[in-house]
Amino acid sequence: MRIDGTEATAEPRPGQCLRTYLREQGATAVKKGCDAGDCGACTVLLDGAPVQSCLVPAHRAADAEVVTAAGLGRFGPGGDPDADPEALHPVQRAFVEAAAFQCGFCTAGLVCTVAGTPPPVGELKGNLCRCTGYRSIRDALAGRVNTEVAEPGQAFGRAVVAPAAARVVSGREAYTLDEPAPPGLLHVAVLGSPHPHARIIRIDATAARRAPGVHLVLTHHDVPDTLYSTARHENRLDDPDDTRMLDPVLRFVGQRVAVAVAETPRQARAALALVDVEYETLPAVFDPEAARQPGAPLIHPGRTPDEHRVADASRNVVAQLHEEYAEPGHGGVDAALAASAATVEGTWTTDRVNHVALETHGARAWLSPGPSAGAEQPVLHVRTSTQVPFLVRDELARLLDLPEERVRVVAGRVGGGFGGKQELLVEDVVALAALRTGRPVQWELSREQQFTMVPCRHPMRIGVRAGADADGHLTALAIDVLADTGAYGNHAPGVLFHGVHESMAVYRAPNKRVDAESVYTNNVPSGAFRGYGLGQVQFAIEGAIDELAARLGIDPVEMRRRNVIRPGDPFVVGRPVDGDLEYGSYGLDQCLDLVEEALAREPSPVEPPPAVEPVETWLHGEWSVGTGVALAMIATIPPRGHFTHARVTVGADGDFVVDVGTAEFGNGTTTVHAQIAATELGVPVDRVRVRSSDTATAGYDTGAFGSAGSVVAGLAVQRAAQSLKTTLDSLSAGHLSGRTDAIAQIASTQLAGVWAEATHDGSPRSVAFNVHGFRVAVHRGTGEVRILRSVHAADAGVVINPEQLRGQIDGGVGQALGSAMTERMVVRDGVVVTRTLRHYRMPQLSDVPVTEVLFADTVDRLGPRGAKSMSEAPYNPVAPALANAIADATGVRPRDLPIQRDRLWELLGATSDR
Amino acid sequence: MRPYTFAQPRSVREALRGAGPDTAFLAGGTTLVDLMKLEVVTPERVVDINRLPLDGITLDHKGLHIGALERMSDVAADRRVRENYPMVAQALELSASAQLRNMASIGGNLLQRTRCGYFRDVSTPCNKREPGSGCSALEGINRGHAVLGTSDDCIASHPSDLAVPLVALSTVVHLASARGTRSVPLDTFYTLPGATPEVENVLRPNELITGITVPRSPWAAHSLYVKVRDRQSYEFALTSAAVALGMRGRTITSARVAAGGVGTRPWRLTAVERALTGRPATAATFEAAVVRAADGAQPREHNAFKPALLRRTLVRALTELQESR
Ligand SMILES: Cc1cc2nc3c(=O)[nH]c(=O)nc-3n(C[C@H](O)[C@H](O)[C@H](O)COP(=O)(O)OP(=O)(O)OC[C@H]3O[C@@H](n4cnc5c(N)ncnc54)[C@H](O)[C@@H]3O)c2cc1C
Ligand code: SF4
Ligand code: FES
Ligand code: FES
Repeated sequence: MRIDGTEATAEPRPGQCLRTYLREQGATAVKKGCDAGDCGACTVLLDGAPVQSCLVPAHRAADAEVVTAAGLGRFGPGGDPDADPEALHPVQRAFVEAAAFQCGFCTAGLVCTVAGTPPPVGELKGNLCRCTGYRSIRDALAGRVNTEVAEPGQAFGRAVVAPAAARVVSGREAYTLDEPAPPGLLHVAVLGSPHPHARIIRIDATAARRAPGVHLVLTHHDVPDTLYSTARHENRLDDPDDTRMLDPVLRFVGQRVAVAVAETPRQARAALALVDVEYETLPAVFDPEAARQPGAPLIHPGRTPDEHRVADASRNVVAQLHEEYAEPGHGGVDAALAASAATVEGTWTTDRVNHVALETHGARAWLSPGPSAGAEQPVLHVRTSTQVPFLVRDELARLLDLPEERVRVVAGRVGGGFGGKQELLVEDVVALAALRTGRPVQWELSREQQFTMVPCRHPMRIGVRAGADADGHLTALAIDVLADTGAYGNHAPGVLFHGVHESMAVYRAPNKRVDAESVYTNNVPSGAFRGYGLGQVQFAIEGAIDELAARLGIDPVEMRRRNVIRPGDPFVVGRPVDGDLEYGSYGLDQCLDLVEEALAREPSPVEPPPAVEPVETWLHGEWSVGTGVALAMIATIPPRGHFTHARVTVGADGDFVVDVGTAEFGNGTTTVHAQIAATELGVPVDRVRVRSSDTATAGYDTGAFGSAGSVVAGLAVQRAAQSLKTTLDSLSAGHLSGRTDAIAQIASTQLAGVWAEATHDGSPRSVAFNVHGFRVAVHRGTGEVRILRSVHAADAGVVINPEQLRGQIDGGVGQALGSAMTERMVVRDGVVVTRTLRHYRMPQLSDVPVTEVLFADTVDRLGPRGAKSMSEAPYNPVAPALANAIADATGVRPRDLPIQRDRLWELLGATSDR
Repeated sequence: MRPYTFAQPRSVREALRGAGPDTAFLAGGTTLVDLMKLEVVTPERVVDINRLPLDGITLDHKGLHIGALERMSDVAADRRVRENYPMVAQALELSASAQLRNMASIGGNLLQRTRCGYFRDVSTPCNKREPGSGCSALEGINRGHAVLGTSDDCIASHPSDLAVPLVALSTVVHLASARGTRSVPLDTFYTLPGATPEVENVLRPNELITGITVPRSPWAAHSLYVKVRDRQSYEFALTSAAVALGMRGRTITSARVAAGGVGTRPWRLTAVERALTGRPATAATFEAAVVRAADGAQPREHNAFKPALLRRTLVRALTELQESR
């Protein structure tokens, strides 16, 4: 077999697929996203034709010519074998120029598919991308250039190319498991609980420990008994301590029962079959309403608010909030509703949703001599796919009883996060195993485990009561939220409190009430997910506001204009919130105007909507058309402190090196940080190198969540760069102010090693806004929904990189459309039935329309150079806008997500077959 | 995957020699390798048949002959197929993804296993995977399952798109074994699950599909395949319909109709065919003809929508085909 022009000599093992073989030969441009033919991340050219290498037995390719993304430029179609080894194929250049990737985990497979497919490339059905919403990929296919080169010092606000672009499109950028395997690497397999609720009465691993290749088997007898939470926050007390590494009580199907560590993943799995376990099954509860009723099986009995931060273990309630507020002169929600001109009361639900980051969770741990080798204790290294390397380090140190200096956590480029990687899920196992065996240890979750073990989005049931006077002014707004947090309370309080926070606060109403509870069940745990609870609650509130507008005969956009908060208004949830939230800038009014105008316009000539069949093509007369909008507000930074540190150093080669702790997982922070530093220093952006997410080289950073990467770390980078500039100016006696080239010149020759640093504590915080609008056609005969127009306006303050921001918005809209229309983890009696990407329906290219993206014009006085964060937020208004559009089209309001075709069809009363 | 021995024979005879009960033939591998990774199938010996001379697409007075190893992508792109058997090309193009179609073969496509999630999950009971263990889908999640031809032991729907138009067009499958060769109509090639859902067809152990013949007919060229699914993109059918009409003026002289996504095998709808024949191709005819299309359907908890959706899909297919004239 020839791989990218080089003869491979190793004999494939029986039963080895081509992807594994290629990666073993060092061809790590070939990624694994599913291992089942669904995702396309493993696509290579096999004798010129794109194939998914996970489904090709390696033998079959024995005499073949294999080309991966790394060799595409030289050995792909039209390539020149004598070109520079890093030469890009025209398709790869198109992806760079269109900025057609975010995390980039899908990209190496995509470029192979495109390069190997004779035009027209079509709908790329074999390739999934979770980050981009596919718009930029369409642009790459069409040869559109979305990026630009900025003059020195002018990078801020420009669509500059991501620094890693060339490496990402050629598969050379190293993700978590792409570094060469250290010698002696062992592999982990984990036995999952077959029962939703059970106690281990007896567990015997003797036979498993004797199995071939096995180095270690762990049961609950062999691990620290420390309680913790898999959720990671700046303050570890934000989450309940209810989890053990291995617990004799099993609370969901799939929970870890035992861990085997062996020479190969196969041997580790085989050993698990020899673990002898006797279970006592316990009564289980799956419905959160039933779980909080008297007599329900208790899932964490005995946990207390003080010690474990579980609100009421006797009702399975892990977190709760009950508040009512009436402005002076008002008599409360009930009285106000009784006196309102119109009222709405209803219940909305959202289902379980999976992040589907294309890179699954995975980590490697190994021991190496301490900083000054010799007598020093070895340092535990963990390379992991995480959004929060520092928080992982801190909790690992606590769990394993090691000083923090002896734990080093590094994140490579992370292949997508969306909140799923704000958890400690695999690192504890590999770390403990490395300590016990002294060998490097790796654990890579399968796609199936992503569904059965990794926390998903909290399903919620939201009751809304709302009233308005005849002019459409809200008189009262009350919500009653029930969240299913599953078997563990990781992120349960945070998601619940955040979920009801900005969603309630964005509307002014003199009477408000919030009842919210997050409840344990024996389902797979829920956790952090893009939007952090807001999307669920906003779906309900935006539906209710729309319904109220319809009852009053008021235009839905106008209804919102009359009721949203304005600068100066207090933020009121169930009572006024005090704290550090401020109106750094306010663009909600502009966003509403922009979406309203855009929906009224014909599609603009620059952004044609995707080709849709004319709506009258089949079953004439049954299509109804409607429009809908929804809004969302989000705080730009998580509350109660988000700390970061940045250092900017003049490198030996005269480049500037930015060290910052936050991780890059497709959110684009590396690009943004380089732009900020380059602008402050007055140098070209390619002279700035960002090194991120290594707890040994960067200063402390809380992590990349709560949309904090651009603004919190960004502000620290800005300040550090400013301070370095001042130092450089004074060192060069002021001669150089404004003479940017000269700074770079001097830097390279005399000033190497000079540095400056800065920190930021994430306070005060600002608010950002998003408004989405849809026009849809709904087919009454089959429940099919076609999106005719999709418009999104965002208030992100001053836009740092318009193409990248647009990409975040496209991606958020795409992901939200999945959970609005087709995505749903089906769970029955605690067993997740949808375990493959074939059964879990995330959108593909042809499922996502092109969205027209518009920006409000505001300058935030808190963020770096007027910028606000915008990464989770675009997700939130999408589902309610879609439901509102469907309601407008059909007169029937979908209140349950996802709005699957058959559900909508039933709602429309079509099942009787006319 | 469990380890196995591997052979790459160059002739059919060599391939059939020494094939034992634990042998699996490997074509594109897109079903087989997937299921081997999950250890749903665990052959001890894998015989790679890709070097056998079972390729070639020819068109003659008898019909269209396709070798078992022809790739889905090549067949879909073939001009003769597109012009004379449009719904065959459409069914292929609406299947899976481009990369998969580059790998997957016609023989493998006809023998692909069900998409029932329980079949893939070795931790759950499934009569098809492990006879006698029970059927998890009966009381489980069965939105994608069949409503026609089901039994109390299995309700898995047949997953192949290609097989639907092929069944409608009375395709014949050619088989070879150590005992010789034979040809079987595709419609009777597939068996109903009954009490033995592990048996899906009349293929004998170690019998190969060598190719298929789709008979020549005046109506095949006027045909259409419609697939209704949850996503626009790749997805197995909730329901699908293959329709071919022979016309004289506005009158339907002959009709071939089959449905996918609803049956435990590709479902030919002869009653619909009869109801269409001799009638004018009008909306009223179509509506009347499909009324009884799903008679005998046995819906379960989550797929009660299928009979009605099938009728709508058929009407849509007939209407679109008619309008495309
Ligand atoms: C992600 C994904 C999506 C898919 N979507 C669709 C879809 O929308 N519609 C659709 O119709 N299909 C779909 N498929 C199924 C796909 O079409 C089949 O997997 C493929 O056609 C099988 O062909 P193959 O050559 O790869 O078969 P293999 O996997 O090689 O073989 C399949 C089976 O047939 C046997 N076999 C193969 N060839 C012969 C022969 N000549 N004689 C005897 N036995 C033989 C093998 O032993 C094996 O049991 C999808 C598959 C995947 C992975
Ligand atoms: S429907 Fe058939 S394939 Fe699915 S679980 Fe039941 S027996 Fe198995
Ligand atoms: S890893 Fe091969 S298709 Fe997903
Ligand atoms: S950029 Fe496509 S999956 Fe992340």
